[in-house]
Amino acid sequence: MSEADFDVQYIERDDRSARVLIRGLSPAFANGIRRAMIADVPTFSIDTVRFVENSSVMFDEMLGLRLGLVPLTTPIDDFEIGDEVTLALDVAGPGTAYSGDLVSSEPLVEPADKNVPLIELKEGQRVELEADAVLDTGKEHAKHQGGVSVGYRHLQRVTVEGDLGEFDEEETRILRGVIETEDGEIVPTEAFDHDLSERYPGKEVSVEDVPGAFVFHVETDGSVDVEELIVRAIGTIEERADELRTTIAV
Amino acid sequence: MMIPVRCFTCGNVVGEHWDEFKARAREGDEDPGEVLDDLGVDRHCCRRMMVSHTDLVDVVSPYQ
Amino acid sequence: MSYRCSRCKRDVTLDEYGGVRCPYCGHRVLLKERGGDVKEVSVE
Repeated sequence: MSEADFDVQYIERDDRSARVLIRGLSPAFANGIRRAMIADVPTFSIDTVRFVENSSVMFDEMLGLRLGLVPLTTPIDDFEIGDEVTLALDVAGPGTAYSGDLVSSEPLVEPADKNVPLIELKEGQRVELEADAVLDTGKEHAKHQGGVSVGYRHLQRVTVEGDLGEFDEEETRILRGVIETEDGEIVPTEAFDHDLSERYPGKEVSVEDVPGAFVFHVETDGSVDVEELIVRAIGTIEERADELRTTIAV
Repeated sequence: MMIPVRCFTCGNVVGEHWDEFKARAREGDEDPGEVLDDLGVDRHCCRRMMVSHTDLVDVVSPYQ
Repeated sequence: MSYRCSRCKRDVTLDEYGGVRCPYCGHRVLLKERGGDVKEVSVE
């Protein structure tokens, strides 16, 4: 593949969600990136819980499952797959134990959301536990997925073919995603309520996919930020390709 | 019993918004749909997690 | 094996002759107490 094939443009960008237009991808490679974002970028997640006391209304296993789903911030550079971090929780009722009450032994790894209710405790009830979080990939268990609802659509080019016939009825034309106009302007369909007849009243328009241009919708659970997720996903593909190359060369 | 931590379908963390949703839409008199828009719970899979949830801790706690 | 009577909340120790019954109040519903050890649960 020659250089400068790719072109990347952020359409929307937040710390936890983004829409990115990438040009110069083959459909297979686009799907490879999507799958890598879901299954191959490792995040921390609670894997083993040691209950010292649990007099709450939930069983140990139910609480353990809830703890496993709490997203933990993951600075991937500092850790390797299989590394463990210990967290502790000690809350007595009356009150609610929140994910923010988890105390981590490693300041870099802590709950990404502090407001998730884990268990409501009544007077006299108490939960005390110690949990081991482990770094692993979404392939191993869905709780390790960094990307949430990652997907892509083709970029669509809208061309004005001419005026609508004098007696033709104006029909709504629903389209979702991101369009490219004839002047090369990139417009998300939310801008005109997903209705092309709103943007081009009285015009006859045609819509076609732009080859090799994909609009990715990327969201994370807070464990890594969006840009890092994309870069890491591409990194895992590169790692596997490198591995294959060395194996074949030998 | 307690609000699920994540959406069953997409895996988005919905538990995070439960307290505010409960205060504004269940105990308050705001429109649940508008509160969810405000909280950024956009997808209908995540919205049903909040709308259809019932806290049962108060119901089961006498039987401990 | 230690149990707790669900009516009078007193600790009950069962032997092989008495059957399942609280010796203090005669109630037949006994609750098993949680053990004192740390319980390890794997999250799956």
